Amino acid sequence: MKKNRLGEFQELILMTVIVLQQDAYGNEIQRELEERLNERLSVGAIQTALKRMEEKGFLTSEWGESTQKRGGKRKRIYAATPYAHEVLNHMKNIRNQLWLAMPNPGTT
Amino acid sequence: MNEKKSIPKLPLKLIRWICRESYLEELEGDMEERFYDNVERYNLQKARSIYYLDTIKLLRPALLKRAGGDIHLNQYGMFKHHLLISLRSFLRYKGTFLINLIGLSSGLAAVLFIYLWIHDEMHINRFTEPDSQRHVQVIHSYPTSGTMYTNEEGFTPNPLYSKLPELFPEIDYSFPVKNHSSYKGVLSANNQHQRVTYQFAGKGYFKVFPGNFIHGDKFSILEDKKVVAISRQMAFALFNSTEKAMGQLVELKDEAFGGSYIVAGVFNPTNTSDQFDILFSYERFKDLDYMQWYNGGTQAHLVLKEGVDLEEFNAKIKHFMTRVYKNSKDLLYAQPYQDRYLHGKYAMGVPVGGRISYVKLFSVIAIFVLIIACINYMNFSTAKATRRIKEIGIKKTIGARRLNLVYQYFGESMLLALLSLLIALIMVFSFLPQFNYITGKTLSLFPNQQVVIAFLCITLVTGLISGIYPALHLSAFKPVEALKGKLQLNANGLLVRKSLVIFQFAISAILIVSVIVIYKQVEFIQTKNLGYEKDHIITFPKEGRLQADLEPFLTELRKIPGIEKASHMYGDLPGRISFSHGYKWEGMEEADKKLRFYRIKGGHDLVDLLGIKLKEGRKFSREYATDKDAIILNQTAVDMIGLDNPVGKKIGSFNPNFPDKEIIGVIENFHFQSLQEKVKPFFFSLSDMGNHFLIKVRAGEESQTIEKVKALYEQFNEGYPFEFRFLDDNYQAIYAAEKRITVLSRYFATIAIAISLLGLLALTSFSIEGRNKEIAIRKILGSNSSQLIKLLSRDFLLLVLTGILLAIPISYLLMRSWLDEFAYRIDLKPTYFIVGGVLMVLIAWITIFSQTVKSANINVSESLRTND
Repeated sequence: MKKNRLGEFQELILMTVIVLQQDAYGNEIQRELEERLNERLSVGAIQTALKRMEEKGFLTSEWGESTQKRGGKRKRIYAATPYAHEVLNHMKNIRNQLWLAMPNPGTT
Repeated sequence: MNEKKSIPKLPLKLIRWICRESYLEELEGDMEERFYDNVERYNLQKARSIYYLDTIKLLRPALLKRAGGDIHLNQYGMFKHHLLISLRSFLRYKGTFLINLIGLSSGLAAVLFIYLWIHDEMHINRFTEPDSQRHVQVIHSYPTSGTMYTNEEGFTPNPLYSKLPELFPEIDYSFPVKNHSSYKGVLSANNQHQRVTYQFAGKGYFKVFPGNFIHGDKFSILEDKKVVAISRQMAFALFNSTEKAMGQLVELKDEAFGGSYIVAGVFNPTNTSDQFDILFSYERFKDLDYMQWYNGGTQAHLVLKEGVDLEEFNAKIKHFMTRVYKNSKDLLYAQPYQDRYLHGKYAMGVPVGGRISYVKLFSVIAIFVLIIACINYMNFSTAKATRRIKEIGIKKTIGARRLNLVYQYFGESMLLALLSLLIALIMVFSFLPQFNYITGKTLSLFPNQQVVIAFLCITLVTGLISGIYPALHLSAFKPVEALKGKLQLNANGLLVRKSLVIFQFAISAILIVSVIVIYKQVEFIQTKNLGYEKDHIITFPKEGRLQADLEPFLTELRKIPGIEKASHMYGDLPGRISFSHGYKWEGMEEADKKLRFYRIKGGHDLVDLLGIKLKEGRKFSREYATDKDAIILNQTAVDMIGLDNPVGKKIGSFNPNFPDKEIIGVIENFHFQSLQEKVKPFFFSLSDMGNHFLIKVRAGEESQTIEKVKALYEQFNEGYPFEFRFLDDNYQAIYAAEKRITVLSRYFATIAIAISLLGLLALTSFSIEGRNKEIAIRKILGSNSSQLIKLLSRDFLLLVLTGILLAIPISYLLMRSWLDEFAYRIDLKPTYFIVGGVLMVLIAWITIFSQTVKSANINVSESLRTND
């Protein structure tokens, strides 16, 4: 677990990829996240996270369709690996346990 | 769609340039899509600025191109593949591989040997003491017998070293060195007697010379007249230990410097060209009262101040001697001491070469040998390209770029070069003792890091040279033609290959001719009639009691049955003959005062003993008491002074103490110096002051006779070890350098020629392989073997012949300039070139023949049946 820990931003993107399913390509992920986070992100930030996670084995990718808007260039569709699901679950559990362990949940 | 044009071009270019290629499509697409989204959402202006901003934010390590290219990941795999393919092709074509390996490794071994030798030569006398870099030695030249004579040992007038610093502020300090190499005194202690050569050095010596002292303080030795330092060998010979020698008293027997001295230091002789066994303070030499300008023999060493321009300094000191003698034409030249070893020959007072010419000669040979070996590799890999054509075609089809193939072929040649290096190192290691014996050096395989690096560089260069042509040639094949098998080895490639073979054989032929000429010249030197007989004559120094007991000793000697003649002389043959000038004779001109006469003073029998032929007059005789003031001239001297009837005439001297000498005879010229010198004017005179005995021993009885001489010597001269040499050995010693060159050039030429032949062998066999069917058909149609052999050999013989024809003028020029160094030399006869050429053709033909005869006798049906 230690070795392949996910960063917070990476975790968000990973979850977005899972949410978006077949539509999970760079721009769609960015749009979705921008909406949810309500802030503007850069293509570079998204892409770096995607490439890093692909390298670490959280994501796989393949070429998708091309659109005219993209000047005929293909999309790259990302999908989470089972390992990514496992890691996400694991992190959620840790979070839950920590929430439960906190003395005054809800107050800060 | 006109919006599309509004995508900023510059950032896109940047992205394409800097981002990883495999990500480009996705990144560009995302950026573009987002741009149009933003145009819709905001406006063109804002979309553009976001685009710019995003582009900058794209510049993250994860997205950038990797250093060394995008295909980096694959490189290791490709490397492994290249290695595998190379090894497989080595294994599959063992013959080619072996020939390449043998050729390259023996070539490399030769080059490594030469490198070791050159490296050693270049480092002789290069010291790293504090002032070594500023250390120069003054070279003195003066006019004599119409030429400018330079003393190569660096002898200068004795006071020079102390006078120069007074007058030239450029000089930091100076010190004198006097090397007594010609004469050996006897050093005694503990009843042990050893002959020693000595050196006197002044203060400052150890600021530029290392000294390598094992015991004792080197600086104090130069200040005290009563103490000396001795070499390690002497310490062991006299005291059995270097430590015990310290503080001991040693006794030196010598006319001028005899006495007792305290050993205050023991040193290890350094890698310097001046070798000596015992070191004195120069103060001891000064005791002799030789410090006048007309006395010479001391070397003047200077240490210049930091930043002094040597050229300017030389211009200043050049005519310094005019301050001593008003009309002096003497020249001085300050030469960096480090350069003296390699640049030790002078003309008109300035260095003009020396051993550096051997260094250059062998460097050229090394380069030639290496190129010959590389050419073999080039020729094989291009000649046998057909084997690899399919491989190249397929590689290109699946996307290999030309550069990949270039890498592959360079890799292959590098691999082979490295393998050859291993074998070459083994060869060098095994033959190093023999090489040391021939060169008279003590080389080791890895003296320092620099050599290791140089070995690797040489190997690398070998790999590069070998690989360059195949890499460029083979990688240029067009894939379609290559795969269809339609590829003809283009005419260009064939031409290159042919010229390479011509080049190889031109070099080989040059080497053969050179070896023949060098051998002939050395043989000529050794067998040339020197005008005197040097065989069966032994010589040993006259010293100790023998100085006084000269006549009794000679009388006793003559009683020994094996001795034909016994006499003595001053000096040593050949070469160490003294000279003087300032003579006068009838009809001389003023300028003739400077004419120099060499002379040997010695016993009555000397002329007879040396077997020198008399032309006119008579030899010395005991019957004439006046003969003590008689001289016998050689022919050159007679020619020089231009007397018609010399016998009976007198020669006087400007020195009033020197009585007139009567010429009683004229002898034929004989070579009292090396054959590199012309015979100079010379005379014999009588004296008891000889310093060497000469004894002519009857042939075949040498060893018994020498035993008897030894016994007699020890009886007369206790405390002096009997050490003799054959006169012939002296003679051989002065040609040691030439002999080394002969032997070495022979070996290296053999290696070069062998490698060339190896290449020729393989090329012929390969080219014939491809013509088997043709030969079979020719045989069926009625060709006989000899016709076939002629047909197959013709092409290659033509190449060899062209090579030889090219070689003849080049080797002629080379050899003529080499022979120019000798005053007495062989003529370059056409036979040398013919013999060399014919020899070359012959061995080349035998090589070719061995291959062609095989194929001329092939089984016709066998050859036609197979379908390859």
